Amino acid sequence: MDPMEAIKQTYFQECEELLLAMEEGLIAIQSGEADSEVINAVFRAVHSIKGGGGAFGFENLVAFAHIFETVLDHLRSGTLAADEEVATVLLRAGDVLADHVQAARNGEILAAEHDREIKQQLETLSGKEGGCDAAGDFDGIDFKPAVIALDDLDPAAQQGWRIHFAPHAALYAKANEPALLVRELATLGETAVTSDLSRLPALDVIEPDQAYFAWDIVLKGDIARDKIEEVFEFVVGDCELDIQPLETPAPETPEGLDVETMAPQPEVAAGQPEKKEAHAAAEAAKQTIRVDLDKVDRLVNLVGELVITQAMLSQRVAECKIPRSSPIGDGLNELEHLLRELQESVMAIRTQPVKSVFQRMPRLVRELAAQTNKKVRLVVEGEGTEVDKTVIERLGEPLTHMIRNAVDHGLETPDERAAAGKPEEGTVTLSAEHRGGRIVIEVSDDGRGINRARVREKAIERELIAASAQLSDEEIDNLIFMPGFSTASQVSNISGRGVGMDVVRRNIVDLGGRITIGSAPKSGSRFSLTLPLTLAVLDGMVVAVGDQTFVLPLAHIIESLKPQPQDIRPFGHGRHLLNVRGAYVPLVQVSELMGIKGAAKPLDGVVILVESQGTGRLALVVDAILGQHQVVIKSFEGNYRHIDGIAAATILGDGRVALILDVDGLVGRCRSQLADAELQPTGT
Amino acid sequence: MATASKIQAAVVDDQMTMRSLVRTGLQQIGIVNVREFPTATEALQSVIAQPAHIIISDFNMPEMDGLEFLRKLRGNPAMKNTAFILLTGRADKDLVVRALQFGANNYLVKPFTVATLKEKIEQVVGALT
Repeated sequence: MDPMEAIKQTYFQECEELLLAMEEGLIAIQSGEADSEVINAVFRAVHSIKGGGGAFGFENLVAFAHIFETVLDHLRSGTLAADEEVATVLLRAGDVLADHVQAARNGEILAAEHDREIKQQLETLSGKEGGCDAAGDFDGIDFKPAVIALDDLDPAAQQGWRIHFAPHAALYAKANEPALLVRELATLGETAVTSDLSRLPALDVIEPDQAYFAWDIVLKGDIARDKIEEVFEFVVGDCELDIQPLETPAPETPEGLDVETMAPQPEVAAGQPEKKEAHAAAEAAKQTIRVDLDKVDRLVNLVGELVITQAMLSQRVAECKIPRSSPIGDGLNELEHLLRELQESVMAIRTQPVKSVFQRMPRLVRELAAQTNKKVRLVVEGEGTEVDKTVIERLGEPLTHMIRNAVDHGLETPDERAAAGKPEEGTVTLSAEHRGGRIVIEVSDDGRGINRARVREKAIERELIAASAQLSDEEIDNLIFMPGFSTASQVSNISGRGVGMDVVRRNIVDLGGRITIGSAPKSGSRFSLTLPLTLAVLDGMVVAVGDQTFVLPLAHIIESLKPQPQDIRPFGHGRHLLNVRGAYVPLVQVSELMGIKGAAKPLDGVVILVESQGTGRLALVVDAILGQHQVVIKSFEGNYRHIDGIAAATILGDGRVALILDVDGLVGRCRSQLADAELQPTGT
Repeated sequence: MATASKIQAAVVDDQMTMRSLVRTGLQQIGIVNVREFPTATEALQSVIAQPAHIIISDFNMPEMDGLEFLRKLRGNPAMKNTAFILLTGRADKDLVVRALQFGANNYLVKPFTVATLKEKIEQVVGALT
């Protein structure tokens, strides 16, 4: 790569960090928590972005950064107070600067109208016209360069090598003579030889056939290293030989800028102290390497295959009636344990903090607040929560949409809020946390809550439900996830964009997650996304149904039970309910769902109680439980197409393919079938 | 007269972009022995242990800024012959004048061209060969 191109890439990477630091600082300024160091840091960030931008000729970016920087300088010197209005302008300016950087990165130039308004605001704050050339101000400056004599840099100045030569016994055994070698060196230049007798032992322990002498030779002159190496060519394996340029300052060498203390070549110039420093610096910095994602995925796949092979091996061992307590069984247990650790470690490589998605949201909120004339505060929690990279990449769009919804539909205008006795500033909270092997992301607001009457009206109008339908509050809330539903009486350019909550839900479901909604009139709404931490493996319960094998995700299983005849109650249309300690749960035969013949009847089989967060419980009847395994998820859609009730497939220990049941889908479908036939509020 | 290839240079800037730009510029004018430091603290430690002929340092850095670095450097008698060139992006004459008082040899305004870099160095150490 062209060196300038490489530096440009470095610049853009640094810009990302700088923009982030800038934004953090600006938010601190806005909240009134900024001290002079914070303001300084923001100034430095903008200044650095400008400095680098200038080197690559990003003139618009530099011009904008310059006026921005000038305002920050006023803030720094105290001639400008960081009130709310100023902070708002600065945040907006930060966003526009980010746009400039992005444009430069794309090889584009930001349209003038994009930053005109904010530029004017900045100019008003700075009290002068912007865009002046920084370099121009240096004209006529009273500065005479101070000359320094670097005479010692004359090519004729002393240069040469310091050679440490310590022959091994083998050198003498091969009839080589050190004196001859030293004399040969003397033909290359001026030599000064000192004997190193430090290894010479006391006389009574001297072994006559051992080598104890070593020599330090200073060879002066402009001599190529090769020439020296040539002299030692035939003894190189039979001695210690160290050839260093004359740079290591001996203790008695006077200090100063003497060329003897300088190294002509950087690779050998690094003296001991500097090496240590470099090492310490490397230790201090967080050590990371960039790895091609393909390589990681290959590793993930291989570990997946390994998990399958291990399962096969376990099964074979079991078939051979080898007890688990035998040495083979012990080894297998250890293998299983290690494999799980290996797998977790490998999956961890793919995880990233959700911060990378969350950090895009403050800007979104600021822009939305400006467009809707609402006052909004965004609270972000748990941004360090880690989740698989693929999940992160696909979270951006749904989150953006949900935040838009929260600001546009959820929050009221400041006047409405004041009238309702709420603070004028609305709060949108974005949080992430790990909960039970999944990640839960919530977007909540303290706005008006879902207007259920309007939602219902709209759903009837759009013929999504019958006018006579009796719906619970929860069911009404869930109507907003139905395809083609839009609650905004006019599609605004904020929430509208032709995408509804149904798309958000589909995105989440595609990721193996689910979305639920909670809302209370006048106090706000809360959207919860529950997503798997990884898309590669899951802990499953392997069950038999007829001659088929299925996997139920363990995360959904509450318990398994053997039903008694009195617990099963008919519920019309050949449906049944199961009484589980007083609660009635729909009872469903997996064989019926999947069209499998010859499966056990409820009373003969095992009932597995599963739960789907948000949609409820279901009692699934299977023939038998075969075991609990970690299974590798093989995508179904990628190879075939989506099938209702099936989440994915996997390969079992015996090499057979088993289908992983989509509990969320099954629960949703069965429960909606049980409800009024005309209503399917949750869809599938 | 100074032989460019023999000059030991140290570049101090908290931004890798700027360090790389200066290093590339120096290399283009034949100064190939360049050490880079992201902080003045690290640079100070290193040049005391192993002197440099020319230090090109940014002004605006966290913790220790360029002037403080220069002041500490000149406080060490062994460093009196080290050329110090202040890298600045600010249209700030006061800064340059202060730098001069602290013992800076020259200043260089960002963004700079390789020709300017060479000129600023030659003004201090004489023509580069």
